[in-house]
Amino acid sequence: MVGTLIPQEVSSIGENHFSLIYIFPPMRFRNLQSILSWELKNHSVVPTHYTLWYTIMSKPEDMKVVKDCINITRSFCDLTHVWVNTTDMYVSRVVGFREKAELVSCMGSFFLESDRPLDPPEFEIVSFTNHISVNVKFQSVDPRILNEEELQFYLAFIEEHEGNSVKRHQPQITGNITENFNYVIDKLIPNTNYCVSVYFEPKDPRKINRSPLKCTLFQPRRESESSESATIGGIITLFLITAVFISTVMILKRIGYICLRNDFPKVLNFRKLSVWVFPELPPLEKVATVEVIHINRKKKVWNYNYDDESDVENEAAPCVNSGGYTKHGLMGRLCPASTTSASLEDCSDHSAEEPYLPEPKGDAETPMAPGPGPWQSEGTSGGYQTRGTLQQDPTSEEDSDSTERSEGRIVFNVNLNSVCVRALEDDKDSEVTLMSPSRPEETVVLEDLNETESSLLVASEERTQLPFTDPSMECLRPQDAPSDQSDTSESDVDMGDGYIVRQVNLKKFN
Amino acid sequence: MTYRCLLQMVLLLCFSTTALSMNYSLLRFQQRRSDMVCQKLLRQLPSTPQHCLEVRMDFQVPEEMKQAQQFQKEDAVLVIYEMLQQIFSILTRDFSSTGWSETVIEDLLVELQGQMVHLEPIQKEIMQRKNFTTGDMTIPHLKKYYINLGQYLKSMEYNSSAWTVVRAEMFKNFSFLKRLTGYLRD
Repeated sequence: MVGTLIPQEVSSIGENHFSLIYIFPPMRFRNLQSILSWELKNHSVVPTHYTLWYTIMSKPEDMKVVKDCINITRSFCDLTHVWVNTTDMYVSRVVGFREKAELVSCMGSFFLESDRPLDPPEFEIVSFTNHISVNVKFQSVDPRILNEEELQFYLAFIEEHEGNSVKRHQPQITGNITENFNYVIDKLIPNTNYCVSVYFEPKDPRKINRSPLKCTLFQPRRESESSESATIGGIITLFLITAVFISTVMILKRIGYICLRNDFPKVLNFRKLSVWVFPELPPLEKVATVEVIHINRKKKVWNYNYDDESDVENEAAPCVNSGGYTKHGLMGRLCPASTTSASLEDCSDHSAEEPYLPEPKGDAETPMAPGPGPWQSEGTSGGYQTRGTLQQDPTSEEDSDSTERSEGRIVFNVNLNSVCVRALEDDKDSEVTLMSPSRPEETVVLEDLNETESSLLVASEERTQLPFTDPSMECLRPQDAPSDQSDTSESDVDMGDGYIVRQVNLKKFN
Repeated sequence: MTYRCLLQMVLLLCFSTTALSMNYSLLRFQQRRSDMVCQKLLRQLPSTPQHCLEVRMDFQVPEEMKQAQQFQKEDAVLVIYEMLQQIFSILTRDFSSTGWSETVIEDLLVELQGQMVHLEPIQKEIMQRKNFTTGDMTIPHLKKYYINLGQYLKSMEYNSSAWTVVRAEMFKNFSFLKRLTGYLRD
């Protein structure tokens, strides 16, 4: 958009009339450009080329030709670098030629500083729900053309275009306008396209330089609806997100992925500091370790006690109960409570050191007297291990219960099929330790055997058997057994580790 | 007693300085408005400069009017006041051959007189101080310039072409006044 300046006087030669127009380019380029243009009112005869001359009124100088505008075919000429003094009055002359004949001529006078029309200021329009706001930027006006004080003497108009109708608003500018000026256009029709133009109009009537139109579609309902729909959509989205989150948390809790219950046993409860500082020892379990010490008797039972004295002394005196079972009294003795009844080796040292317990007690260590090889077996009772020695104690015979304990003695029936006899190294002659695996007891009645040779059946279903915890282990006979053992020494097989294979014929009494 | 007078004089000077500073802003606003009105009134006076190119004359415009020169506000006041007086004097001469509207001329004269009334208190105060420097040569140059204009009109017997040429010089004068008004700042 350019501004135009109509010269005060235009004179023409010939029938054709010229219209000389001085064009001012938009000031948004921030340079004072001066472009003079002309047009023909009568197009009956059209010049082929033009030439422009000019002069000033303050000095009696001749007309000067504009070098860039000699015999030009265009109808305008850039005088930015020619008319530099804005306080002088310039007189221009345009001559139209056709070939070499001068057809038309036009002259005009221009005073640039005061005659230049004001370029429209920059502005922005914002559409609201019920009005349109026009923000005029006065600082966009070049102060070289119009300063802030002169702005007040120009009327600023805002035109409102609605279709073909134009409504002009004249805002009241009071005081000094230095920056922006805001004007509100209300009372608008919804769903209507509005275009706004802003321009300055000097108080004396002149040609107005209007700004380009800026249009907006005034849709307050749609805007409100869109805003309402956006709000509703946001609320629904938020609700869905919350619902998904809550359901996820519930599912995870239900499947136990989160918020696990800590129903741990008390022993696994490590939260109590006192537990860490002063750990409670678990209650001791009564573990009785029983060693079955085989006391070789000469005559009756095993018939493999080769030590006469030991046989006599150490020979187990089986007690035949009413059911035909042999009872053997145990001499209880404390052992480290860390083993079960199946492990005999835990007490092996003890048995080696104290193979004999003359006075078995339930909860105290009882010395085991050396000499005869008492039965030793392990058993667990209570929270401590006791080692009882199966002794040829007549008092034990009086006990009728297999696992009766009286006066510190533990008496129980020994299933020879379920024990393993082991000869202790220290007990050279007669001591034989039996391992009692955890099998239900099968009472074995030891029959008097007159046979000199005895054999222990390792595994036999027909005869009484001595089941071993380790099938490879067999009841053995002490290696240091005297010559009496030599009778069976031929059948003895040294299994190593103090165990000797011994075959004993036993009969089982029901 | 002397000290009391001294205090009062100091207070008076302070207030006068403040009053003067406030007046300069008002003067600037008033002068700016007056310049624009006068230019618009001049444009209302019809003329054909392209027909008066033969009677043009160099009136020896002062260099201060041609070049961008810095002025102090006191000097600007004095120069402005002098120019307003001279233009007023020119426009009161015989313009009957021009066909101009007497109303427009009267409006011009009223505008010029009103602006001189606004400037007179300050102009007198400045004259009493006699502190201006650049105004010493500018005002004599201006006086000679306006004498040339008067003599030109008289020699041309106040014909329309002469008045057309003088009218063109009035546009230049008001442009210079507009520039001097910018120096009336606090």
